[in-house]
Amino acid sequence: MLHYRLIAKKLFYILLFAVVSISGLRAQDGKALFQANCASCHNPIKQLTGPALQGVTSRVTDKALLHAWIKNNIAVLGTGNKYFNDLYVSFGKTPMNTFPNLSDAEIDAILNYVETYKAPTAAPADNGGGGTKDQENDNSLLYGVLTLILAVIMFVLLQVNSSLKKLSDDKEGIPAMEPIPFYRNKVYITFVVLILFVVGGYYVVQGAIGLGRTKNYQPEQPIFYSHKVHAGTNQISCLYCHGGAWESKHAGVPSLNICMNCHAAINEYKGEALHREDGTTVDGTAEIQKLYSYTGYDVKSGKYTEPGKSIEWVKIHNLPDHVYFNHSQHIRAGKVQCQTCHGNITEMSEVKQFAELSMGWCINCHRNSKIDFPDSTGAGNKFYSIYEKFHNDLKNGTIDSVTVEKIGGTECQKCHY
Amino acid sequence: MPTKKISIIALIMISVMIVISCNDVRRKPGRIYMPDMAYSRAYETYSVTAEQKEDLLKKQGAHYSNLPVPGTVRRGELFPFALMKDKEGDSTNYVASKLVKNPVTNLAPDQMIEAERLFLVNCAICHGSKLDGNGPLYKGGDGPYPAKPATLVGDAKYEAMPEGQMFYSVTYGKNKMGSYASQLDSRQRWMVIDYIKSKQAKPKPAVAGADSTAKK
Repeated sequence: MLHYRLIAKKLFYILLFAVVSISGLRAQDGKALFQANCASCHNPIKQLTGPALQGVTSRVTDKALLHAWIKNNIAVLGTGNKYFNDLYVSFGKTPMNTFPNLSDAEIDAILNYVETYKAPTAAPADNGGGGTKDQENDNSLLYGVLTLILAVIMFVLLQVNSSLKKLSDDKEGIPAMEPIPFYRNKVYITFVVLILFVVGGYYVVQGAIGLGRTKNYQPEQPIFYSHKVHAGTNQISCLYCHGGAWESKHAGVPSLNICMNCHAAINEYKGEALHREDGTTVDGTAEIQKLYSYTGYDVKSGKYTEPGKSIEWVKIHNLPDHVYFNHSQHIRAGKVQCQTCHGNITEMSEVKQFAELSMGWCINCHRNSKIDFPDSTGAGNKFYSIYEKFHNDLKNGTIDSVTVEKIGGTECQKCHY
Repeated sequence: MPTKKISIIALIMISVMIVISCNDVRRKPGRIYMPDMAYSRAYETYSVTAEQKEDLLKKQGAHYSNLPVPGTVRRGELFPFALMKDKEGDSTNYVASKLVKNPVTNLAPDQMIEAERLFLVNCAICHGSKLDGNGPLYKGGDGPYPAKPATLVGDAKYEAMPEGQMFYSVTYGKNKMGSYASQLDSRQRWMVIDYIKSKQAKPKPAVAGADSTAKK
């Protein structure tokens, strides 16, 4: 008896498992089928080229009609069905593809997936970042306070010392000198003046060098465009938007149609929380709305209803006119990574100037960077084949590599002409 | 004496407080020796002065993202694509584009590498570096992009699509895909299409297997 019960129990579990896995499979199937056939134009909860599909079974209660529509919408339109004809007109008479190969079971699986679809939940916001930076600031502050305290202690001790000396002198009958207050004491005054000179001089020199240099410049932009989200999380190539960097002197700022390549469809932000430099939270969806207000795009109809106007981004990296700089020369021929000069851009929510863009900074890199000089195997940039002397030197072992400086990269006229 | 000491200590404390409360976010570019040299007197995109901006944008209606003058052709450009963009609800030119042949075929190996680079930069973000329609923006439905990008390799519809029609879609946009005419010139667009066609022509057992399960 016990035996049978055990077997029955086992059978029950096996059956349960089978049912669960089959239904899981079907849901999975529905997703795969939906993505293979429908997802180019439809999203369960968003209007794309076609309408948002969730709730379609309650909008079209006649199941046979719905199946017929999905399989061959042109035939259904031909019958003069009012609902579908109105739909067809409201979506700009864009014809839907026909799917004669889908079976009824497959369509049911797709509909089941669509009706049970839930939007992917937002990734949990990370609360890291900035922690290490604060630590550093705290340390320097600590040292500063310690120095101050030590200085005060030293000052007090010196005062105590002089008072004690005066007392002992009084006791021993040595005639006391007229006490000099510390602010008229020449040693103190010299000391303070010296410190002021050194500290003041340091800041004056730093300020003078820093004049015209805008390192760490991080202006607020008209739209909170996060390079961290675009180039970091979503792995969009830098050249997707700044394609000019490969082709020309200027990297260029993308025109609005390039934003709208993706943002015609992506109209809300659901990633981890965005923060400005001062710590306030940014509503990503509202920032995308700002883009729409510039482009005159209407999300509901998916059309451009108003004329576009330009976004006046604030230029951060500025070189004076008497400096020639060419992006393509560095990126294409020199194979320099964007990050070398622009810093870890994939981690920047708000872009700031990473490099000094000073002449010393340029020259230093030109001295250290090796060029793509053709080696004995012939690999490398063929342009440099005319530098016969360096080829011979490399062969003789006089030099082990060729830097930008060697081919004239530190000559004045290379960049100033 | 004690009041003086107190005042000195207070001064030190106040200066420390000022140093602490300083924000290290630099919102202003700072001062310069010679503004005439640092900021061009000529009109330059994004580096115009406030007065220039007023003059350019407000009075003259200048717009940095203006289209090229109608009817002009860039030097070195291929013969222009004769078909215009269809009006809404019309697909005459889209259908007609099937007959247009690719003028940039038989790419040399280095041109093919360049075509691959162009594809990876501009297309792979949605269509996937394996051309499987599953780029980082879609991520199997979990990415931010709500529409499924076309499966360029492994979907019979796109494998059979004539190159002219692909060119029409890349030039003018199709469904939710935008126009790529501003990022790729016509020669580059044809190169990318030739790259896609060369990938489609290759045998691909793994992708075909995945596709057959999906269409079961």
